[in-house]
Amino acid sequence: MLKEKIDALLDRVQKPARYMGGEMNAVLKDPQQVDIRYAFAFPDVYEVGMSHLGSRILYDIINKRTDALCERVFMPWVDMADLMRQENVPLFSIETRSPVREFDMLGVTLQYEMSYTNILEILDLSGIPLHSEDRTWDDPIVIAGGPCAFNPEPLHKFIDAFSIGDGEISTLETIDVVKQCKAEGVSRRECLRRLSQLRGVYVPSLYEATYHEDGTLASFEPIEDGVPRTVVKNMIADIDKAEYPESVIVPFMEVVHDRINIEVLRGCTRGCRFCQAGMIYRPVRERSMERILELAEKLVAETGYEEMTLSSLSTGDYSCLPQLAHELMERFEDKRVALSLPSLRLDSDLKETLAETQKVRKSSLTYAMEAGTQRLRDVINKGITEEDLVSSVSDAFAGGWSSVKLYFMFGLPTETYEDLDGIADLANKVVRKYFETPKHIRAKGLRVNCSASCFVPKAFTPFQWEAQDTIEEFEQKQKHLCHIMHIKGVEFNWHEPQVSFLEAVFARGDRKVADALEAAWKLGCRFDGWTDQFKFDQWMKAFEQTGVDPAFYANRRREKDELLPWAFIDAGVTQQYLWRERERAVAAMVTPDCRKGCQGCGLKRFEGACEGR
Amino acid sequence: MRMLMQFKKDDIVRHLGLLDLQRTMQRALRRSGLPVAYSKGFNPHMVMAFASALSSGIPGDAELLDVSLCGEVTEEECLAAMNRVLPPALRASRIRLVDDRFPKTAASLAQAEYRITLTGGKAGEIAQAVPAFLDREEIMALRKTKKSETMVNIRPMIHELTAQYDAEQDRAIIEARVSFVEAATLKPDLLMSTLCDFAGGEAARQEIRRTRLLGLVNNQPVALIDM
Repeated sequence: MLKEKIDALLDRVQKPARYMGGEMNAVLKDPQQVDIRYAFAFPDVYEVGMSHLGSRILYDIINKRTDALCERVFMPWVDMADLMRQENVPLFSIETRSPVREFDMLGVTLQYEMSYTNILEILDLSGIPLHSEDRTWDDPIVIAGGPCAFNPEPLHKFIDAFSIGDGEISTLETIDVVKQCKAEGVSRRECLRRLSQLRGVYVPSLYEATYHEDGTLASFEPIEDGVPRTVVKNMIADIDKAEYPESVIVPFMEVVHDRINIEVLRGCTRGCRFCQAGMIYRPVRERSMERILELAEKLVAETGYEEMTLSSLSTGDYSCLPQLAHELMERFEDKRVALSLPSLRLDSDLKETLAETQKVRKSSLTYAMEAGTQRLRDVINKGITEEDLVSSVSDAFAGGWSSVKLYFMFGLPTETYEDLDGIADLANKVVRKYFETPKHIRAKGLRVNCSASCFVPKAFTPFQWEAQDTIEEFEQKQKHLCHIMHIKGVEFNWHEPQVSFLEAVFARGDRKVADALEAAWKLGCRFDGWTDQFKFDQWMKAFEQTGVDPAFYANRRREKDELLPWAFIDAGVTQQYLWRERERAVAAMVTPDCRKGCQGCGLKRFEGACEGR
Repeated sequence: MRMLMQFKKDDIVRHLGLLDLQRTMQRALRRSGLPVAYSKGFNPHMVMAFASALSSGIPGDAELLDVSLCGEVTEEECLAAMNRVLPPALRASRIRLVDDRFPKTAASLAQAEYRITLTGGKAGEIAQAVPAFLDREEIMALRKTKKSETMVNIRPMIHELTAQYDAEQDRAIIEARVSFVEAATLKPDLLMSTLCDFAGGEAARQEIRRTRLLGLVNNQPVALIDM
């Protein structure tokens, strides 16, 4: 009956293919044959969620178990969500269209703060009580992981357990525990207690936070004996031995990243000081070339995809990239599989690789400069110079490229208007390089796409203590940028400071911001990452209603000795290291890549980390 | 050599649009290992075409894909290879290999057959109205194209129209065979809206499925794959 009801709804919504299922390589298992039914939710629409590599990995490892199944859940777009409420249709899984509430476990991936209202919407649409404390064994155990789990506190009320660090390990371990608890018939509370014993698992209901009068955190302690004081992140030491999907779902509809995606390395050692991913995913671990080639062969055969990408935080740092790119080209040219290399660092051994990619397709080149002047790039430890950029685009223009993307941030610590002027200066230099390239060599139609986003300080980065610029400061800087970025051939884009402001609140929020989040959702906020859905005024109303001052979280500089809400997590990098890096940042001192010498970030304390370095 | 593949587009994937279906077929062909021919030129692509684009929202029992091959294979091999790689909701039911000079299937298409299931509302009245509807010599309907809206007589485009009504289930099944050529294509929704107007009401739910694609041999309808 429910299945028919869902099916009838699909005739009434935009993009019904989002809810359709039945794709190539989707895994269909008999629920009667397994002990644990795991629903894996991505809190955004299908085409966004289906582009996320981590979800594909976990879907694969769960479904490889004979005692468990995993089905996908996405956030229905607003038209569908409203219809579902109107017609009393609960949120359902894609594979079998089963109600999410019937699953034993619900995993939610936390990729960006602005998806938090969608998580509440997912719980509510599923008929699962919003608060962890109100749930019973009639509800799934709700587990959340992903980068934002490194500051889990804003979601502490809504999530039963967080998985911190590499998800492959705790996904399987938590399934084991829940399976065992269900078999023994223990209480839900006992199940959560047992989950808290796993490495990398944080059960917020087993901890208590107290606050000083000024609102800062006074103490954070477990409320029961035997619950760990510190939650140590999970880390896979050898990703070459880790499971990786050899077959992936091929969506019918076009999704954001519609191609084969092979993770070539995890982690990054560059040490850019604004970058949370670069800190929390340490250490760097490479997949071997043999394994990558093997995966490539299998995935091409299993999917029929016409494009492949090598992904990581910094693919240009893969130690044998030119050789790998060359080998992939050679093997798949006949099969007409194009290779694209994203997030290519411009200081890498570009030329050789570029010559290879060119054989198949000319896409636009992306340079993440992040800041306009060398001084500010030294502050953020972005090891790219103007010379690197200019010589690289000059090669690219000579090689027939005419489209360049430049990424910047503004509102970085110590930034002045001189640094903003540097952005225009760099854009101008790129344009000049294009026109210096002889007409008969260069391709027509120069396009320099320049985008500037508002800096958001994140937990577990050397800038975690810093104040974010206020919305007014951002707007003034933006005005200035718009003025100076009137350059022929350059298109300038910027991000809304309001969104970045909220991101900053949740990126470093404590338990108190949970109420504001819930209030905002009740006021109709959802899909906050989508410009057409974002309701800033409702958010402000929510803060007012709950007495939460967002500026306290976004625009306040923290003292060195302030107890940070995420300090109970051992993310590998130590707070001492982060502070040291903060001091070097203020002094505009560069810290070299740790592949060239250990910087003592703290990872060496982890077994198997940084091996061979 | 060309491969004509008759396939089923199941209810669950009825919302697939032409582009989605095309991409899915291309990826399936790539996985199949069959010797698919590519066009020459700067941006080579597979040489393939659907006999007719089936609108998003409508399932089909016997759709037809026409693919150029560049190597020797048998019909059995093709059928096995395609069903190994197609998702369960898109199964190949028959394969016919034809010579390159064989007329394009899209050009041979003359008629299409639909089954329309009506449930609730005025389903019974609509089914009952069919004989009287067909008795009229002229049935005028407003046909909308991208460019214009014109009143046309759709009666000559209806070759067969039958209805069966199951009172217990309050369900009517309408079978329609209609023209499907460039100048005179009768879309099933236009047929149904005209019929509903005539009967004076609509069913609560209307499901359309395309059951056959037909060509004409000596003015007799023949399944397109058998032309």
